[in-house]
Formats: sequence, C-alpha cells, structure tokens
Amino acid sequence: MNRIATVMKIHAKDKLMWLILPWCLGLLPAFLVNFLIGGIVQPEEGLYTGGLASIFVWMMVVGIVTLTKSFPFALGLSIRRTDFFLGTLMMIIVVCLGSSVVLLALSFLEGDWAWGVGLHFFKLPYLSDGSLAEQWWTLFATAFHMSFLGFGIVAVYRRFGRMGLFIMFPVIFVGGSVLALLCTYFGWWADIFNWLSGHSAALLASWLFVGAVIYALLSFFMIRKATV
Amino acid sequence: MKNIVEVKGLTKTYGGVNAVDDVSFTMESGKIYGLLGRNGAGKTTIMHMLTAQMFPTSGKVHVFGETPYENNRVLSQVCFIKESQKYPDHFRVSDVLELCHVIFPNWDQQFADQLVNDFRLPLKRGIKKLSRGMLSSLGVIIGLASRAPLTMFDEPYLGLDAVARELFYDRLIEDYAEHPRTIVLSTHLIDEVSRILEHIIVIDSGKLILNKDADTIRGQAYSAIGQAEKVESFISGQETIDRKPFGGLLSATVLGSLDPERRKQAELLGLELTPVSLQQLIVHLTKQKSDLRAVDFR
Repeated sequence: MNRIATVMKIHAKDKLMWLILPWCLGLLPAFLVNFLIGGIVQPEEGLYTGGLASIFVWMMVVGIVTLTKSFPFALGLSIRRTDFFLGTLMMIIVVCLGSSVVLLALSFLEGDWAWGVGLHFFKLPYLSDGSLAEQWWTLFATAFHMSFLGFGIVAVYRRFGRMGLFIMFPVIFVGGSVLALLCTYFGWWADIFNWLSGHSAALLASWLFVGAVIYALLSFFMIRKATV
Repeated sequence: MKNIVEVKGLTKTYGGVNAVDDVSFTMESGKIYGLLGRNGAGKTTIMHMLTAQMFPTSGKVHVFGETPYENNRVLSQVCFIKESQKYPDHFRVSDVLELCHVIFPNWDQQFADQLVNDFRLPLKRGIKKLSRGMLSSLGVIIGLASRAPLTMFDEPYLGLDAVARELFYDRLIEDYAEHPRTIVLSTHLIDEVSRILEHIIVIDSGKLILNKDADTIRGQAYSAIGQAEKVESFISGQETIDRKPFGGLLSATVLGSLDPERRKQAELLGLELTPVSLQQLIVHLTKQKSDLRAVDFR
C-alpha cells in the first residue's frame, strides 16, 4: 500500500484528536456557553462573540500533537520522513476542507435567525463578508495556517531540540517588540490598521495561506533532518 | 550468502563523546545475530542508524545494498522493535496491529492473532494503560508477525515474565525455521538467548570487541572442576579467566580449545570438564576491556 496513504490511515485512527476534541471539546462548549448567555441576557443589539476562534486554536493543537506523537510512532515503524510529511499534509488539507465547509454551512444556517437568541457565532461581520467562495476561503486558509503554525513549532523542536525553541521564542519576542517600538516611533500603526481594514478578510486569508506554505516548506526541510 | 547489512567505520559522537566508535561489521541473510553489550554500550544507537532514525557522524551504513535514509526499498524490509517505541496517546492495541498490517508487506495476520492469544494481550485496551510487560509483548508480536527480512529486537523482554520470554524464544525459533530471515537480538540476558544465537557481535563502550560465530566462541573456553590442587596443576601455564574455590574444590575457567590430550589429562586427574556459558565468557571479555582502559587512565 502506498506509504502516504498509510500515514493518512495512522492519522485517521486518531479520530479523537482530529475530529472529536476540536469540535466537541473546543467549538461546542464555546457555542453552548454563548448560547446560554444569549438566552439569559437577550441583548437588544445581539451577541457577537469570538467563540469561533476556539476551533482554530484546536487546529493548532492538532498540528502540535501530530508531530509530537504520530511522528516518532511512524518513524519507529519504518516510515520515511517524506511520506510522513506528505501524508500529514494531505490529512490537514482534508480536515481543513471538511471543517471549513461545515463552518460555512453553520454560518449559513445561523443567517439572520441567530439561533433565536440573537447569538452571532458563525456568521460575523467582516469575517463573513463577500461571496460564498470568499467566505469559505477565509475559513479554510485560517484553519490551514493554524495547523501548520503548530506543526512548524514542533518541527523546530524535532530538528533543533529544546535549545531550538529556547532560542526561537526569545528571538521572535524581541524581534516583535522592536518592530512594535519602531511602529510606534514612526507612527506606522494608523497606516497598518488602515491597510488591514481596507482589505477583505478573504484577501488577508490569502496572506495567511502564504505564511502557512512557508511554515510547511520550512517544516519539511527540518523534518527531513529530524531524529527521534 | 548475501550480506544484507554492511557497516564500515560507523561513528556517532555526542558532545565530544563517541557513543559508537569506528564500528565495522556485516550481517548475512538468514541468520540470528546477538548484538550484545552492557547498558549504554551503543547497541541501540547502532540499530537507530541502521534504520536511519539517527544519522551517523561518520562512516558507511548499507542495508540491502543501499543507504537506508528515506529509502522505502530498504525501510519496507526492516522492522525495528525498540524498547522506547512511542505510540499516539489514544491508540488501542488493535489500532496498532491494524496499522502494522498496512505497514509491513509480509505481515501475517493469522500469526499475529495467534500471538495475541498466546501472550494474552487485551486488544481493546489503550496503549497507555498497558503494563510494561504487555507493551513488550506488543513489540514482540509486531516484530514476529511483520516477518520483515531484517527484524531487530532491542531489549524486547523488559517486564516480561519467564513464561512469556520462553514463549517468545519458542515462537521465534519455530517461525524462523519456516520463514528464514535475519534477526538481530539485542539483549543482556545472554544465557537465555545463547541457545538461539548463531553469530555474536559484542559492543563495549561504543567499540566492537567481538564478532564471531557463536559455536567458535563457545569452543574458546571451558571450565574444570575438581580437587583444588589437581585443578591447579591442570591449569598451570594456561590463561585462566575465572576461578571459584569452594571448600577443597576449585572451579576454574580456562581460555583455549579442548583437544583430546587435555581431555585425557583431565580424566586422569578426575576433573570434570564443562563448556563455559556464553554469558560468562562475554562478561569476562567486556570486563577485561574495561580493566585495560582503567589501566590506561592511571
């Protein structure tokens, strides 16, 4: 059997991680809590929440766990690093496709009805603007980005060990702080926010997608040299 | 016979220390090898490099005539059962076995089912809830049922009771007879496995110190037991590697082969001759090496 399909099968065995936890332990409680609040408080202008973010955070966790647990398992059972990477890439694409379509359907279902309690959970202003295709792309690209963000962080650990992370996080932190300081000093913030708000969510999602592709490529090269 | 493993000048360095130091050996197809040595000798590291799970600092590794790194032609023929094998958190025993069915081309499901029965492994139990012994059983089952042309077991019996270990050795020999392949057993329970080993490679502190046919090694030494003074006269001028007095008796282990003349001499003195155990001999050999090093340090 094709080794890439084998890796997908390894992931598919872990339904709990890929499917049940993100939806049942991530999104569902977030929705229920907000639904309850909406039902009790019944705000006149409606309740807008960011609970949708929970599923994207879970996608990052999935990216982290798969490289932490499934990678040493697969490598120990004579599977190539390249096949592991490609199989995982396929699996992430399938899951992101599925998740984004379901989220889109839920957003459609929510519509203006807002679950009868004025709860705007899946269909949010700005994020759900644009055509159906654009809405789907926003959801898909964000989920894809988060998965490979998690995957990429562990890839650094796999390749460079603990020291790799000890160096990477301070560098990102210091770099980010310096950048923020420069932005404040030169008064760039207004321009940045203007630029961000001047573009659609779908276009920003495309940038997220580009970022994810870069993480994926870097992860691939790190994984090729990773040991267990 | 074809060489399926060729290792030349293999070295792995961790922070200035040579965990594996200039090791060279070959392995033929259809033999059972013992990769022996003390804890931390470098056995596991060597097997990790044979399966490209670790990278050598220098040296050459060829398995089935090719480099194993990212090479499916090699890796699909290799099954490496290691003590530290990791499993995804929520996997059950049955999940792992189903995946092995897909992963290993020669997997025999019927044999795997039979082994699960023999080892009384609970199929539906989560891997995380298995005892150490059960986890070892799982590894043993995977290694045997995979029927990989090169199967390596790294300390496969941790936590296994004597019955389960005996079961492992029996099944291994039975199946090996029907489906010959190259098997590498890395262990320090040398006496238990000595009867099934055909060739022995001993690693000590990263260095290869012995690489010989098991029978040749067994013939390298013998023990003589009898009255102390008679034994002393028998062994005088011989290289003695071990002597154990008890009461007026002495048991001495001597290096060298037993020719008919020596046998006759022993018989005249009323001494009992016994073959030395592989374990004793290897303990002696590894101890001798470390003694030499201790001298070097002074």
